[in-house]
Amino acid sequence: MTYFVIFLGICFMLGVLAVASNPSPYYGVVGLVVASVVGCGWLVNLGVSFISLALFMVYLGGMLVVFVYSVSLAADPYPEAWGDWRVVGYGLGFIFVIYVGVVLGELVEYWKVGVLTVDSAGVSFVRLDFSGVAMFYSCGVGLLLVAGWGLLLVLFVVLELVRGLSRGAIRAV
Amino acid sequence: MSPLHFSFYSAFTFSSLGLAFHRTHLISALLCLESMMLSMFIPLSMWSIENQTPSFTLVPILMLAFSACEAATGLAMLVASTRTYGSDHLHNLNLLQC
Repeated sequence: MTYFVIFLGICFMLGVLAVASNPSPYYGVVGLVVASVVGCGWLVNLGVSFISLALFMVYLGGMLVVFVYSVSLAADPYPEAWGDWRVVGYGLGFIFVIYVGVVLGELVEYWKVGVLTVDSAGVSFVRLDFSGVAMFYSCGVGLLLVAGWGLLLVLFVVLELVRGLSRGAIRAV
Repeated sequence: MSPLHFSFYSAFTFSSLGLAFHRTHLISALLCLESMMLSMFIPLSMWSIENQTPSFTLVPILMLAFSACEAATGLAMLVASTRTYGSDHLHNLNLLQC
């Protein structure tokens, strides 16, 4: 079970590498979707299923869907996938940077193989993540209001950014 | 460094390097920014798991809310750039170039 979680961690790294090595945006979004699905599975394996569900709904179901259809604005006549030599070069270059950092920083001296989960300290009657997020409404109500105000503000920010012609700051037409 | 900590640390490094290098499209940079947010969400959740503190579970949810704000603003700038220049190529954003 521990090795499965570590495998998910490696898959997460590979998914993010697929975004960072410079493919066409069509293929970059695939890497991001894979990385977020694997991240959700990772969090479920560690025990916090509610946080994983929140990530799935908000990130994958909300934000990434919007990104996927915004990618249609970035049309390439000849899209470069991961088989292209430039993208492979970027990917190998990033792996090399991490490898040098690990070797010079001596990060893998003590490769402790173990996973701390939510239930490592015994039986919990109230799940850790449910009770934690529920604090948003009791102790953290100020944070909730600030976050809600920020989200409302962003609605108007987006409206002003894409408005053009006479009121907008960015658009020239 | 334990393997799980190494994996999200290196994922954050990959995405920040990907953001720093020059790309053709603006949306590739925005995707790297989103992967930075994702690779920060996972360790924030792991903090509350490994230290067994339920109250820290608020922080990844709050981070997700503000990351949604930032993604929306970035996409609005992408739309503005596409409507002005016809594409989101980064070499179009050259007003400050001397």
